[in-house]
Amino acid sequence: MHETILWQVGSLGTIHGKTLVMTWMAFVVIFVLVFLGTRRLTSETPGKLQNFLEWIVDFVRGIIRDNMEYTKAAGLHAYLLTLILFVFVSNMLGLIPNIFWPLFEHVEFAKLDEIFHGAALMSPTADVNTTASLAVLTFVLIIAYGIRFHGPKYFKHFIEPNAIFLPIHLIDMVAKPMTLAFRLFGNIFAGEVLISVLLMLPGIAIFGGVVPMTVWLGFSIFIGAIQSFVITVLTTAYIAQAIGSDEH
Amino acid sequence: MNPIAFDLTLPAQIISFLLLVWILAKFAWKPLMAMMEKRRLFIQENLAQAEAERKEAERIQREYKEEMRQARQEAQGIIEQAAKTGEQRAAEIVEEARRETEKLKASALADIEREREKAVSEVKAQVAGLSITVAEKLLRARLDLSDQADLVDQFIQEIGDGRPC
Repeated sequence: MHETILWQVGSLGTIHGKTLVMTWMAFVVIFVLVFLGTRRLTSETPGKLQNFLEWIVDFVRGIIRDNMEYTKAAGLHAYLLTLILFVFVSNMLGLIPNIFWPLFEHVEFAKLDEIFHGAALMSPTADVNTTASLAVLTFVLIIAYGIRFHGPKYFKHFIEPNAIFLPIHLIDMVAKPMTLAFRLFGNIFAGEVLISVLLMLPGIAIFGGVVPMTVWLGFSIFIGAIQSFVITVLTTAYIAQAIGSDEH
Repeated sequence: MNPIAFDLTLPAQIISFLLLVWILAKFAWKPLMAMMEKRRLFIQENLAQAEAERKEAERIQREYKEEMRQARQEAQGIIEQAAKTGEQRAAEIVEEARRETEKLKASALADIEREREKAVSEVKAQVAGLSITVAEKLLRARLDLSDQADLVDQFIQEIGDGRPC
């Protein structure tokens, strides 16, 4: 379990410092991965990392193709690629032991000593703000693509087949991003809670905790990969629904 | 503490994530996809080229086969022609030989006939000559030996009777 470290932003409000720092760490990991993968771009025989990136590109393209015409959503490709990569790396981040703790032990700037306190790093996706931000972006994309392909007519589908259905449509519209956010948050947050609990096994049992910890970390890797896939697929499916609502 | 607490982290995360999307799209996905597209086109081109080359090879093979067939046909024709010509020529030669033989035979027969006729006439002449000589000799011997007087008398008698001898 992570304590919430709050950064005060003037009089505007607070920011979860730990979440933001971990987000940036995830960014750094992604940057390194992508930089190494695209350092020697070649169209002939790609290196291992380029191959891996190309596999992800093809994988996401497959997800889009399964849901809609690829040409309609080619612009989504980069977004979905970033989404799946970011969510996956974020989910994995919470499983990594806190190797940075000695570095920031006495750094009080921006409460870094508190942020890097604890046994493991934290997944940015274990904060509901992160998952909600992704859900908000999905929500915006759904409406944007709906308007882009149907114009103002898009809003007409809220009262179809009858105006009575408006509340149901509205609930549907809100439920989509909400479930998206809470599904990911719940999975990852629960995983981290259990990691904290396992780490709390007392005394001699700490060694006994090695086995359940290993099992749980393995399972968390699985969960993290599945959830990154799920949020990508659902985002694609929702947008596809908005694009093709009058064609089906 | 409440784990579900919204605050400014939400917009901060939105901005962070959009920034990440923008940076990755610009510096990673775009060049990467361009490279993949390039490879796709390269492979497509290669495949098309290979296909064209295969077709070309097939065409050439077909042509060769056709040519080979024609050549074989021609050779067959030539052989047949030669056989026919040979047969004809053989028949001609045989015919010519037969004619020649006929001619030779005919001329030989004519020669023989001529020779025979010549021999016969010669023999005739000789026989006539010999007969005369023999008759002469016989007559001379008779006249010498017998009484010529009797003979003369007889002749005269006979002549007188008017009877040919």
